[in-house]
Amino acid sequence: MFLSRTARAALSCTAQQVRSLHQSAVCAGAGGIFVHRDTPDNNPDTPFEFTPENLKRVEAIINNYPVGHKAGATIPVLDVAQRQHGWLPISAMNKVAEVLEIPPMRVYEVATFYTMFMRKPVGKYHIQICTTTPCMLCDSDSILEAIQKKLGIKVGESTPDKLFTLSEVECLGACVNAPMVQINDNYYEDLLPADIEQIIDELKAGKVPPPGPRNGRFSCEPKGELTSLTEPPPGPGFGVRPDL
Amino acid sequence: AAYSVMLRLPAVSRALVGVSQSKSCLAPSSSVRLSIRASSNLVEVFVDGKPVMVEPGTTVLQACEKVGAQIPRFCYHDRLSVAGNCRMCLVEIERAPKPVAACAMPVMKGWNILTNSEKTRKAREGVMEFLLSNHPLDCPICDQGGECDLQDQSLMFGADRSRFTEGKRAVEDKNIGPLIKTIMTRCIQCTRCVRFASEIAGVEDLGTTGRGNDMQIGTYVEKMFMSELSGNVIDICPVGALTSKPYAFTSRPWETRKTESVDVLDAMGSNIVVSTRGGEVMRILPRLNEDVNEEWISDKTRFAYDGLKRQRLTQPMVKSASGDLVTTSWEDALTRVAGVLQGAHGSDVAAIAGGLADAEALMALKDLLNKLNSDTLCTEEVFPMTGAGTDLRSNYLLNSRITGIEECDLLLLIGTNPRYEAPLFNARIRKSWLHNELQVALVGHQVDLSYSYNHLGDSTQVLQDIAAGTHPYCQVLAMAKRPVVVVGSATLQRSDGAAIMKAVSTIAQNARTSSGVEDGWKVLNVLHRVASQVAALDLGYKPGVEAIRNNCPKVVFLLGADAGCITRQDLPKETFIIYQGHHGDVGAPMADVILPGAAYTEKKATYVNTEGRAQQTRVAVSPPGLAREDWKIIRAISELAGVSLPYDSTDEVRHRLAEVAPNLVRYDDVEEANYFRQANELSQTVNQALLADPLIPPQLSVKDFYMTDSISRASQTMAKCVKAVTEGAQAVEEPAIC
Amino acid sequence: MATTAATRAAGGAAKAVKPIFSRDVDEAKRRARELYRAWYREVPNTVCIYQLDITTQQGREKLREMFNKNKHVTDPRVVDMLVIKGKMELQETINVWKQKTHIMRYFHESETPRPTDFLSKFYTGHDP
Repeated sequence: MFLSRTARAALSCTAQQVRSLHQSAVCAGAGGIFVHRDTPDNNPDTPFEFTPENLKRVEAIINNYPVGHKAGATIPVLDVAQRQHGWLPISAMNKVAEVLEIPPMRVYEVATFYTMFMRKPVGKYHIQICTTTPCMLCDSDSILEAIQKKLGIKVGESTPDKLFTLSEVECLGACVNAPMVQINDNYYEDLLPADIEQIIDELKAGKVPPPGPRNGRFSCEPKGELTSLTEPPPGPGFGVRPDL
Repeated sequence: AAYSVMLRLPAVSRALVGVSQSKSCLAPSSSVRLSIRASSNLVEVFVDGKPVMVEPGTTVLQACEKVGAQIPRFCYHDRLSVAGNCRMCLVEIERAPKPVAACAMPVMKGWNILTNSEKTRKAREGVMEFLLSNHPLDCPICDQGGECDLQDQSLMFGADRSRFTEGKRAVEDKNIGPLIKTIMTRCIQCTRCVRFASEIAGVEDLGTTGRGNDMQIGTYVEKMFMSELSGNVIDICPVGALTSKPYAFTSRPWETRKTESVDVLDAMGSNIVVSTRGGEVMRILPRLNEDVNEEWISDKTRFAYDGLKRQRLTQPMVKSASGDLVTTSWEDALTRVAGVLQGAHGSDVAAIAGGLADAEALMALKDLLNKLNSDTLCTEEVFPMTGAGTDLRSNYLLNSRITGIEECDLLLLIGTNPRYEAPLFNARIRKSWLHNELQVALVGHQVDLSYSYNHLGDSTQVLQDIAAGTHPYCQVLAMAKRPVVVVGSATLQRSDGAAIMKAVSTIAQNARTSSGVEDGWKVLNVLHRVASQVAALDLGYKPGVEAIRNNCPKVVFLLGADAGCITRQDLPKETFIIYQGHHGDVGAPMADVILPGAAYTEKKATYVNTEGRAQQTRVAVSPPGLAREDWKIIRAISELAGVSLPYDSTDEVRHRLAEVAPNLVRYDDVEEANYFRQANELSQTVNQALLADPLIPPQLSVKDFYMTDSISRASQTMAKCVKAVTEGAQAVEEPAIC
Repeated sequence: MATTAATRAAGGAAKAVKPIFSRDVDEAKRRARELYRAWYREVPNTVCIYQLDITTQQGREKLREMFNKNKHVTDPRVVDMLVIKGKMELQETINVWKQKTHIMRYFHESETPRPTDFLSKFYTGHDP
């Protein structure tokens, strides 16, 4: 990845006049282009129906909003739909519109805006690897490489058994535990290539490994012992002029 | 902390202090003015130092407009909600830290708005540079060229160079139907079209998808923008992203001659501008008229103009011995007609006026037949004649006027689908429904009206129940402060039309009594569908062709009668049929003589809309071939038949019109009608039973909207629309251009 | 300004107007005669150069007709003005600045009378 990036940079240096169609990570990750095209597994006839327990959840969500403002529940209801189906086919968006009694277009607008709504099929485990600066400095590239080698897929692809999807994302806010990946709702932090391989193995085996740092830390505390603020805190009057 | 900021920015803060001091020096004089107008609750603001009093809540942009200072804008539109996303209207407010978006910022007392300061100009220049960074520089091949807001404003307010060297964003074009061409790369995401679709048209098909640089306007799924008002997004699009498909690559705005005219394809009388070049109508645009169409027009009005170039009658024709229609000269055709008319007198002669006939022609035809001692003058549209019939003008007008809808609080629609019978009227209803909490109820077939309404059922029984006061809806009706009842003219075509009119009249009268509204308020309304009807009734034509079917006249004169309400089979074999009109449509093939007339873009003529508002069309192009203005043809016949009509010019015809119905020449004015109570009393004498048939208006869905008259039936664009709505937008083949 | 113009006009009735060329009628007549002669001599050339389908005789008759059309004019200023116009025409003719049709316009051969009554107007065109 890093290599290709430098190569791209070199290319753009030598041939700056070459037109490039800009494609953001947003575009690549959440479901490609911002128009819908019918495919065999994503079309208005794709079966989607809320399960009875999810329907109850949806009702509870809608009840959080005042009467006449059902549209406010678009994001949480879409989330329920995505959790149920794994991703959001067009039929699910239409269903959400139907439940909320708003035009489907208003749901499409929301679903295309937020990158956490997947409009393309994703595997059972969606691996999102952070490659933003702090993670990159802590060698997230090696993690990415390990995942790619382990699963045999590239960024933006899914494994043939529909178990894993790999996407590269921007900062997930766990820089203190860099490098990290997010797999579905769990953060796996302070990774080494061996850790991620182990995580993937466990997931393949059907277990969900415990989330959190992998280097023995409990959370985001300093590794080892404190490096600052080691003495007991000074009492009142500290640093005050003696004559006062 | 404030002090330290001041220390860091000494020059600026000192300048600010200076300004505030000079401001306080100004204050005494302005406060005097304020105290005078204190009771009116206005606030005073200054635009470039000029004081102006505005209502609280006025935006900065509106305040500037009041003074006459134009602020550039893209996303802001008077008739749409404020989006504030283009940032072009940034202006400096004195002593404010940042420039503000004028379209979205309400004014505060004492603000000095600087519309042409250094900071304002710099802000505009910056915004313009950003807008242009992703906008293609294809003005030479762009249809908006010459009338493009972005072009004009970048000339006025933009910089002369750009610092943008990267690649431009490209967006895929969408196929949203056969009317609107999309070149989405040109889009600047002002979202005017999205807001128009959801607010005015009531069709929430357009939206913004994606985010950031990749944000785009579209329908997300493959879909037509299916609205009867869709063409208006072409006008409101400030750039060339949405342009007209039929008009694509045909002409430039500076090449065309603009003629202010009136539309006749429905009974609204929308004000239009006809753009012509070299004797050809290039396109039709709306013209502002707050009382009729605001600044919108329907798709039929806008796009049916290509029907004016097809199927036209360009030469007089007569039926030869073998039964074919052959072209001939005016002398020959007129001599034949005159000969036939001389041979037939009294009730032997009859005339039928079609939906596109103008008042001048109607007047001339009536005078001609009256001179021949005949009074069998009919319109194609039926109107119940028992009861008050057409004797009381209030019985057949949209008395509340189109603007009246904005003042009413309850609207009862009966047997009509205003969305397709009068799209602009429907847009008014939607506007009022959206902003004034208007309650709408419908008796008739359930249709999609682009707003929610209370559907009371489609049987005539419902009507009777409401009239009798036994229907549960009567309680709602009784609560209304300003009720309006609108009955569709299509419903009155039924054989039990008189009974329906009686019921409607009773409902309206009861609603008036229960609401206790002032005398000037009109409740009863008739929504017509054709442009000629009100003028014809004002001139004394009889609605309906029953009289002709029963009398079997020897000569029938069809003045643009293309609705097919009378056929050759209805008449005796030897009846001589004269057809005068501009299109070879339904009426012409059965005629013995065809006299080519002028269409509405080719004559200076008077039309009266459903409110009773007289308006005139003007000559945009000359009639094709040997076609002539309609009243002139009739005048020429009269001379040859030996009963010369006493007018030789349009002015003289209008003088005659003024003698018969003075309201027809009081242009742009509505002549009010009254005597509702008397009309209701007369309607009580009607002794007719309601039929059990449900009330179903003829235009139910959008595919019934496009082709309703001889012009729109000849239009290829309209045919494409019908095809697109029935088979999908992909079914329409488009020429491969660019 | 308006008042001075008015006074000048009022005074003009009393005193002699400023002549264009000719001081009296006789001088004006002389100029008209000179123009007539010049045209008279030019007619054969014109017929030849423009290849007109008329004889010299016909051309001279037309010339006489054109002059006779204005024979009622007695004001030397008006006569002078007409002579100036005639000279311009003559110059244009001699220098072949005109074309054949322009010369033949004197004979009105392609002109048809405009219709006056409604019916003939109707037959002629849209808005004659």
